[in-house]
Amino acid sequence: MVGYIVRRLLAAIPLVLGVATIVFFVVNLAPGDPASIYSAPGVSPQAVEQMRQNMGLDRPIHERYVRWMGAMLQGDFGISFSRNQPVRDVIAQILPNTLILSASALLLAFGAGILIGVVQAVRQNTFTDGALSVGTLFFYSMPSFWLALMLILIFSLYARNVWGWPLWLPASGMVSVDHNAMGPWEQVLDRLRHLVLPSASLALVLAAGVARYMRGSMLEVIRQDYIRTARAKGLPERTVILKHAVRNALIPVVTLLGLYLPVLFSGTVVIETVFAWPGMGKLMVDSIFQRDYPVVMAGAFVFAVMVVVGNLVADLLYAAVDPRIRYE
Amino acid sequence: MRLVSPRFQALALALLGCGFVVACGDADRRALQEMPPFCQEVLPAVDAHMAQFEEPSGEEYGGTAVVGGLGELSGGMNSLVTPEHMARQHQEFVNLMTLVQVEADLEYRPHLARQWEFDPGAGELTFHLRDDVYWHDGQPTTAHDVAFTYRRASDPATGFFSMSSWEPYVDGPDAVEVLDDHTVRFRVEPHAEPLEIWRLLAIMPGHLLEDVPPEELRNHPYGTRCPVGNGPFVFQEHRPGASWSFVRNPGFPEGLGGPPRLDRYVYRVIPEQGTLLTELLTGSVDVYLAPNPDVASRIDTEEGARLLDFTFREYVAVVWNTRRAELADRRVRRALTLGVNRQEIIDATLGGFGEVANAGVPPFHWAHHPGLADSLRHDPDEARRLLDEAGWVERGQDGVRENEDGIPLNITVSYNMGNQQRQDIAQIMQAQLAEIGVGLQPEGVEWGAFVGEMTSADRRNFDGAVLSIITALHVSDYDQFHSTSVDQPMGLSGVVDDEMDHLLDTLQVVVDRHEAIPLWHRYQERVVALQPYTYFFFPRRLAGVGERLQGVEMDVRGDLMSVSQWWIPAQERRRP
Repeated sequence: MVGYIVRRLLAAIPLVLGVATIVFFVVNLAPGDPASIYSAPGVSPQAVEQMRQNMGLDRPIHERYVRWMGAMLQGDFGISFSRNQPVRDVIAQILPNTLILSASALLLAFGAGILIGVVQAVRQNTFTDGALSVGTLFFYSMPSFWLALMLILIFSLYARNVWGWPLWLPASGMVSVDHNAMGPWEQVLDRLRHLVLPSASLALVLAAGVARYMRGSMLEVIRQDYIRTARAKGLPERTVILKHAVRNALIPVVTLLGLYLPVLFSGTVVIETVFAWPGMGKLMVDSIFQRDYPVVMAGAFVFAVMVVVGNLVADLLYAAVDPRIRYE
Repeated sequence: MRLVSPRFQALALALLGCGFVVACGDADRRALQEMPPFCQEVLPAVDAHMAQFEEPSGEEYGGTAVVGGLGELSGGMNSLVTPEHMARQHQEFVNLMTLVQVEADLEYRPHLARQWEFDPGAGELTFHLRDDVYWHDGQPTTAHDVAFTYRRASDPATGFFSMSSWEPYVDGPDAVEVLDDHTVRFRVEPHAEPLEIWRLLAIMPGHLLEDVPPEELRNHPYGTRCPVGNGPFVFQEHRPGASWSFVRNPGFPEGLGGPPRLDRYVYRVIPEQGTLLTELLTGSVDVYLAPNPDVASRIDTEEGARLLDFTFREYVAVVWNTRRAELADRRVRRALTLGVNRQEIIDATLGGFGEVANAGVPPFHWAHHPGLADSLRHDPDEARRLLDEAGWVERGQDGVRENEDGIPLNITVSYNMGNQQRQDIAQIMQAQLAEIGVGLQPEGVEWGAFVGEMTSADRRNFDGAVLSIITALHVSDYDQFHSTSVDQPMGLSGVVDDEMDHLLDTLQVVVDRHEAIPLWHRYQERVVALQPYTYFFFPRRLAGVGERLQGVEMDVRGDLMSVSQWWIPAQERRRP
C-alpha cells in the first residue's frame, strides 16, 4: 500500500509541474499589466514603472519563468502584488479555511446523498421516492450562487428580522466579531453556525448527484442473488439493506469522490465570495481581478495538488469499502 | 451489525477528528511566535505602552462598530505604498495621522501639525508639530518622522503613487530640514496647493522603518501584519481577506478630540452586495460602505437602517480619443455630448443619486463653475446640425452618417467587462446616438486589457471609453489635458490646446483662491468647448448605517471622517 502511494505521488509530480507551467504562461501572456492598474490622475508614469520594476515585471518572460519555477521548488511562491506579503504566508493563512469548508461540504453531501439514495431505492416507485427525486433534481439543477442567496434570505434575514428565530444563521464570515470574547464551547458553536450556510450551499447540489448515483447503484445491488440469499436466510430487511446492499452499492459512489473534488473547489470560488468566507476560492477571484500573478499561479498549483491528493484518497477508499481490491 | 469494516470506520473517524480539530483550533489567529521578527519586536511594545493608560469612563464609551466594505484594504496601513481609497481612509482617520485635515469648506485645519507657515516668496513651508502625539509603541511623533516620510515618499524606488506631488520640491531629499523635534521646514517652489499632499499622506514611524530600503517597504510586514500608528485606533488584528480590527487608543490627545468613543472598530470584507445588505439589516454590520443605487433604495425603505448620501470626488465620463480621425473634430465630440440625455442616464443607472457633470471640477468645490449648467443640455437637433457642419451627413441606408468619402461614423465605446454601470451607459448611449445618425458599438474589455490599451502611449487602441475618476480635493487635470502629458499614461484623449496649457500652467501656481476662481471658470469653459470627454455625472456617495450607531457623519472628506465620534448606546452594544 505504501509503495503504491509513493508511486502515485511520484507520478503526480510531472502533472503538477505541467499544470504550474501552463498556468504561468496563461497568466503572464494574458493582455494587461498588473502595474497599469495604478495608472490614475496624479500617479506619475515613473511610479507605475517603479511598481513594474518592484514587481519584477520588467524582466523577460523566460527569465521570470525560470526564477519562479526555481523559487517555487524551494517553497517560495514570491510576494503577493496586492497583499504585499509572501504568497506562502497568504496561502498558509487561507488554505485551512477552504479545507474546513470543503471537508464539511463533502461530508454533508455524501452523508445526505447516500441516505437519500438508499431510502429512494428501498421505497422505489412510492410517493417518497417520487418526492425525493423531485427534491434532488430541484437542488441538482440549481445554480449554487442562487441557492446560497436564497439560504441567506431565509435562514439569516427572514429568520431573524421577520420570524424572530433565536437560531438564525449568520450570512457571512467564519466567526463573529466578538468571537475572541467567547468561551471555548461558545466559540465552537459560533464557528459551526457560520459553517452551516456555506457548506449547505455547496453540499446540497452535490448531495443531489450522490443521491441519484446511490439510488441507481442500490437498485442494481438489491436485485443480486446474494441479496435474495440473505433474505432467504431470514435476515431482517434492515440488516439485508444496511449490511449487504449498502456496502456493495457504495463502490461506484466512491468514484464520485474523486470526480467531485475539482467541482467542489471550483464551487468554493462562488460560495466563498457570496459568504465572504476568506478561503482559496475568494483569494483566487480577488487575485485574478487584481492581476496578482504570484497568488494566481500559486493558487492554481495548490488546487492541482489538492485534486491529485483527493483522487489518491478516493482510490484508497476503494480498498476500504471493497476488500477484494488490494494495492500492491 | 457492522455496516463497514473497522478500517473504513477508523479512516472516517480520523477524517472527522481532523475536521473537528481544524474547525475548533484557532487557525486564523497566528501566534506571535509565528509572525515576522519585526512584528515580534513591535507588538509587545505596543501592548506595554497601551497598558499604562486608563480606559475612559462615561456612558458614551464602549462597544464595537463593524463597517462592511466590498474589498480588502490593499497595502494595509503603509501610506507610502498604497493608492487604494479605503486603505488610505483608514490610514488618515483610524490608525495614522496626517499633518493637516480639511474643514467642510475645504479650508485646511491643524491636525498633527498645530500650525504652519507658507512663504511663497522664500519658497518655504514650515510645520510646527504637536508635542503630545505618540506612536502606539510609546515613542513620540516628531519632525524626524515627517522628514523620514517625505524622503521615502519622494524616493522613486519606493513607488509612492503620487510622485507628481513632489515636483515643487525641486531639491529632492535635501528639500527637508528638521529645525527641532517639533519643527520641520520644506523648500518648495510656488504652488497652488502646498498643503494638499500633507492632507493625503499619513506620517509613518521613522524610528521603526528607517533601516528598511525603500524598494522593500512595499512588502514589509509593517503594512499588513503589524502596523504601529499614532492615530485614534490601535491595530489589533488582520485576518487576510476577512477583516481588520482596531481598538481604542486611550492615550489619544484631548486636544484632538481625545480617545474614540468606541472600544473597537472592525472593517469586514464582504464582497457580495446582497450578503452585505443582509448583514446590515440583521445588525451584524453597522455601516455598509458604497452600496449600489439599487441596493440603496432597499436600505432606504427597510427598518433598522438609514441611508446617507453625500457629494463625492468622483466623476464618470467617456474619454474620446482625439487621435482618431472621426473624433479629431471638436464639433463631432460636442455633437456626441449633446446627443446624449445625461439626466436620463443618471436616472437609469444611479436611481437619481447623481448630478450632471460638464467638467471635472465637482459641484462642492470652490473652483466649480455653476454657469456651465445649461451649456450642454440634451439637444439632438443641435447635435445633428454640428454633425452636418462637420461633414457627416446622413447617406447610409442603415441610418449611420457618412462623410464625403463614404466612411460611416461608427464609433466603438469600450468599458471594463463586469462593470454593469458602465455597460448600461454605453448601451444607453448607443440607443440615443443612433437617433442622430451615429453608429456606436459598445465593447466590453477585460479590466487589465482595458487599462493597458488605454494607458500605453504606443497603443491607445480605443475610440471612446467609459471610465470613472476620483479626483483629489485639490483638483488638477494637468496630467490629462496638458500637451506635455499627451504621451503619458493619463493623456488619454490626446487633446492639445495652447490656451488649456496656459491655464493649467497658471493654475498650478496661483495660491490665492480669489485670484484662481476666474481662471478655473475659464478653464472649465475651455473644457466644455473642446469636449475631450463627455462628462456624464458626479455620482453621490452612499452609505447604509445601522440604527444603533450614533454620531456618524460623512461628506466629501471621507466615509470615516467622524469615526472617533461614533458611539453606541450601552444597551445595544456587542461584547468588546
